[in-house]
Amino acid sequence: MNNRIGVFICHCGVNISTTVDVEEVTEFASKQPNVVVARNYKFMCSEPGQAMIQKDIGENHLDAVVVAACSPQMHELTFRNACEEGGINRYLFQMSNIREHCSWIHDKKTAATQKAEALVNAAIRRVAWHEPLEPTFSEVNPATLIVGAGIAGIQAALEIAESGNPVYLVEKESTIGGKMAKFDKTFPTLDCAACILTPKMVSISHRKNIHLMTMAHVEKVDGFIGNFKVTVRKKARYVNEKCTSCNDCVDVCPVKVPHYFDEYHSERTAIHKAFPQAVPNTYVIDKQEKPPCIEACPIRQEAAGYVALIRERRFKEAAELIRLRNPLPVVCGRVCYHPCETECNRDYVEKPIAIQYLKRFALDWAREQGESIEPPKIERRAEKVAVIGSGPAGLTCAHDLAAKGYDVAVFEKLSELGGMLRVGIPAYRLPRHLLKEELDYLKKLGITFKMNAEFGKKITINRLKEEGYQAIFLAAGAHAGVTLDILGEGSEGVISGVDYLRRVNLGIESHTGRNVAVIGGGNTAMDAARTALREGAEKVTILYRRTRAEMPAAPHEVDDAEEEGIRIHYLIAPTAIARGPDGKLDVTCINIELGEPDASGRRRPIPIKGSEHVLEFDMVIPAISQNPDPKLFSNGGDQLKKSRWGTIEVDEESLKTNIDGVFSGGDVVLGPSTVIASMGAGRRAAESIDKCINGQPLENFQTHMPKERIARGEDFRPHSYAPMFKDIPKSDRVGMRKLPAHARVKGYDEVELGFSEEEAVREASRCLNCGVCVECLACVKTCQPEAIDHRMQNELVDIEVGQILLATGYDLFDASHAAQFGYGKLDNVLSSLEFERMLSSTGPTGGKLLCKNGKEPRAIGIIHCIGSRDENYHKYCSRVCCMYALKFAHLVKDRTDAEVYQFYIDMRAYGKGFEEFYNRVLMEAATVIRGKVAEVVPSGPTLKEQGHLVIRCEDTLVSKFREIPVDMVVLCNAIEPTADSEDIRRLFSISRSPDGFYLERHPKLDPTATMTDGIYIAGCCQGPKDIPDTVSQAAGAAARMLAIIAKGKVELDPIRAEIQEELCSGCRICNSLCPYFAIDFDAEKKISIINTALCKGCGTCVAACPAAAITGKGFTNNQIFAEIEGMLV
Amino acid sequence: MSGFEPKILAFLCNWCSYSGADLAGVSRLKMPPNVRPIRVMCSGRVDPAFVLKAFASGADGVLIGGCHPGDCHYAEGNYKALRRALFLQRMLELQGVDPRRLRIEWISASEADRYAGVVADMTEIVRALGPLNLDRWEKVRIRKR
Ligand code: FES
Repeated sequence: MNNRIGVFICHCGVNISTTVDVEEVTEFASKQPNVVVARNYKFMCSEPGQAMIQKDIGENHLDAVVVAACSPQMHELTFRNACEEGGINRYLFQMSNIREHCSWIHDKKTAATQKAEALVNAAIRRVAWHEPLEPTFSEVNPATLIVGAGIAGIQAALEIAESGNPVYLVEKESTIGGKMAKFDKTFPTLDCAACILTPKMVSISHRKNIHLMTMAHVEKVDGFIGNFKVTVRKKARYVNEKCTSCNDCVDVCPVKVPHYFDEYHSERTAIHKAFPQAVPNTYVIDKQEKPPCIEACPIRQEAAGYVALIRERRFKEAAELIRLRNPLPVVCGRVCYHPCETECNRDYVEKPIAIQYLKRFALDWAREQGESIEPPKIERRAEKVAVIGSGPAGLTCAHDLAAKGYDVAVFEKLSELGGMLRVGIPAYRLPRHLLKEELDYLKKLGITFKMNAEFGKKITINRLKEEGYQAIFLAAGAHAGVTLDILGEGSEGVISGVDYLRRVNLGIESHTGRNVAVIGGGNTAMDAARTALREGAEKVTILYRRTRAEMPAAPHEVDDAEEEGIRIHYLIAPTAIARGPDGKLDVTCINIELGEPDASGRRRPIPIKGSEHVLEFDMVIPAISQNPDPKLFSNGGDQLKKSRWGTIEVDEESLKTNIDGVFSGGDVVLGPSTVIASMGAGRRAAESIDKCINGQPLENFQTHMPKERIARGEDFRPHSYAPMFKDIPKSDRVGMRKLPAHARVKGYDEVELGFSEEEAVREASRCLNCGVCVECLACVKTCQPEAIDHRMQNELVDIEVGQILLATGYDLFDASHAAQFGYGKLDNVLSSLEFERMLSSTGPTGGKLLCKNGKEPRAIGIIHCIGSRDENYHKYCSRVCCMYALKFAHLVKDRTDAEVYQFYIDMRAYGKGFEEFYNRVLMEAATVIRGKVAEVVPSGPTLKEQGHLVIRCEDTLVSKFREIPVDMVVLCNAIEPTADSEDIRRLFSISRSPDGFYLERHPKLDPTATMTDGIYIAGCCQGPKDIPDTVSQAAGAAARMLAIIAKGKVELDPIRAEIQEELCSGCRICNSLCPYFAIDFDAEKKISIINTALCKGCGTCVAACPAAAITGKGFTNNQIFAEIEGMLV
Repeated sequence: MSGFEPKILAFLCNWCSYSGADLAGVSRLKMPPNVRPIRVMCSGRVDPAFVLKAFASGADGVLIGGCHPGDCHYAEGNYKALRRALFLQRMLELQGVDPRRLRIEWISASEADRYAGVVADMTEIVRALGPLNLDRWEKVRIRKR
């Protein structure tokens, strides 16, 4: 224990002594135990004050010191150093805060003095328990992270880079330059912002030791000064460094959105560059959310892309784009069940885009124009692959593998190719010549087809392997109709839907009854019913056990069926079939009611007792479902693992079966599914087989599998520049013309007639360009240096730095919150940044001042203090507005003959050259009116007055109410903290001041550091300031950081936890408490141990240890107990 | 009981609440002189024994100030502090001590007003509760180590 304590009490000028009787406190202190000397002085922190302490340490042999003055956060370091120089350990010192925590917050002298005594006493008692401690040192990583690459970040980066040390510069936009890059001229010197900024931007890109990361943000920060570990997320740019900035891609991009860089007053394409001098000078593709239509497609067809191309009347390109990914595009254009449309966001507005019809249109157009597409040149490989089944799954797999060069043979059991496409889907939906067209293309690709080759007979897995096939894809489909399981089902005249369709489609003689019943509600049922009609049936009735709402068939198929005269009985199910002597089939039916939803989500059908009745037909076609042919598992496939449902079991990701080298997909795995789902499986299988043959592990698949999407409702936008779904003007979906019903049933002519060019363009124009880039890949085709890569991924980059500078800038106050100024409602009311862009020669008007009607304004009103110096929004002054408002006035006068009115509260011209500038602008005859504007209103309702405005205000210098007519209003919006500043604050563990800007360590003496060591701030993120102040602060911060880099190490407070081994019982309570995982359990000694390098000294474990075995150095229990006692005298 | 001025001890974490209290000083916000702050690195350092010791040594109330949830400089010390405070309040109540004598508050470095408000409010509450009469307690001795 220390028993020679010196107490030094500061007056702090009069700051302390006005409310605290310093003499009395000194007197009090001198009487406390262990105190050998107590003194007071005007400024303890001054040189003589410190000398006084040091002298006493020497003369009075002090072993501990208390200073009662300001906050330790202000001067603790000063006095620690003084003690050390005086000859005692720097930690044998305690500071008592009698200024911030006493004299400044109280006004009664007796009470304040009493409290000061308690505070001093606590420190005296505490310091008696202090022990000498040695600071620890940590190496400083010389690399620096700078977040935000506006002028502040750029300046600091250049300053530090000059020293040769590495800098990581992280910017969230696609270019550096920040807000300054948007300005036209700067006040008061009127140099052009771009001219002074761009050379600096360019030097950033030239510096080898500056690692620039654009479109990036910091995701995680660990560690402490000297050694931070930072994770940065870099968004994909989709254009690499090969980009030569030739602009060719912009010419072909079909998507236009408002351009953020021009404050949404101009348009740009999805692939774009923020502005011509952007750094890095590479283009960037704006991909926000992935378009849902593309994501929903099992083969990831670029639906949005070809829709956009059709809108631009680039039909050929649209057809080519479709072909690129789709081996069966014509088929899909006609019979796909189009999950893309189901997911289409336009559904939130009114109806989805007719994507499938548009696809069909593009390909029909190409065919009509005689545009034939030749397969690409392929380098052949020797490996052989066998595909069993020529349905959509098999064909897609064969196509993808053939395109990779494999020698692919497709084995088809029937005499015709196409699987269900050929024998399931009737010709009026998919004309045969079109299917042939697809098959011809596949043949040209080098695929060999073997018909009448049934799996299980001559062809078995073993035989194929013996013949040298390295992999087999089993896609035999599901061609066996599921039985109804009722009495009399085997009667003559009963034939399953798939069997019936197959016979008709293959032209096998088959008798169709006159009065036909089809049982089921799926697409097969519809196909069978409509085919029966075309085969001469007079009456076709569909019996379905649920209602229309639950029907799995595509709604338009059901409509078509009904139009053709097919009757549908809902809520009915057959229970028995009996064939009468006259050959008629008596079908006993029962009525159904719907109960609770079952596992599939559809309501469970419940038969109504006693409702049995008999219906009479002469043919019954059950078409409830299909299964794979059970024979598959007997011959040649007997080792295949079979699922409960009679399908082949595969690994969901790789589609691998239980037999090596054998993969399977499509209906034979999924049960009856859709063309596109089968194609997706074929594609995945091809990737698997390719990996398998190349000896790669079956993981990291690139082929697409649609994910669940979250419905978001109409309060959402397709992309960040678009209105909400509910605010988008409605426009009807274009329907497709069809053959009239009476003409249809006469034969197998295609029912749907396709879109005309006009219809297609009209429909395509409804697309909302969700996510901006629609992946039409036009840019890829046009880019000569091959710099575009749509598959680029976001990246996580880990970096290690010693110090961090935040220069994250500001946001502009959104003036639409202050409705009286009409921003966002009235034309020609502009924000300051919008006006800057209008003034800029690279802006939307090329630097011309123009009203919405294209005319030059005759009078302009500039209103100061929008959102700042305003109790309702921000109380602070934004500091730059007066001056840029004057700059605006000057530029207006310079370029037009317009009158300029300035409405100000106080004119603040505090900087170098500002007052002179103010006078100059006054001379240029700008009218200044002192008074806060009440409102901006339209000048009148007539057409002539439209677009003209009136500013109502009080002129406080003449005490008059005034109304000033103008053509344009410019608002001087406040500078406010960025929307993400709370997140950033948290991430870097710093604080914000009450105004929301980042809190500096000291408002006057340390405006660039924060309370967290090693983290600095510069520019407007610390508070509003102009460019010179920003640059100075950034340079100052850089100097601070360079000093520490030069020193190479930092001193860390030795406030750390320590375990006294003999007291630790090994209860391990502390182990899980430590947020830094600094506490481990030593299993051998059965005690916990602390890794001092990881400990940060929070003391949580100290407080939690039931045995009090952990000591918090610098904050020990004894010290705090003593402090408590001392505080309560 | 007129003229009773309670003594309240405040354990303030270095990063948020202590800085908030400093800002209150810098902003010259006036508040009653009854609250006496003790700086700790984190509210998680506040050992339940500190609180008991404070009461035993004559405090009429104890305030614990920490960073807002999610803001603790050491990630989660404030959650631990909250857990301990709630537990202590239950224990105090069993001992016949009004649980309002122990209070935990989240005060950030910028919330000077909030700090001043809490100080005024707590002073008033504890003043109304009157002096903490500890005679019923055994003379609490807390081991020094
Ligand atoms: S540092 Fe403030 S509560 Fe942990």
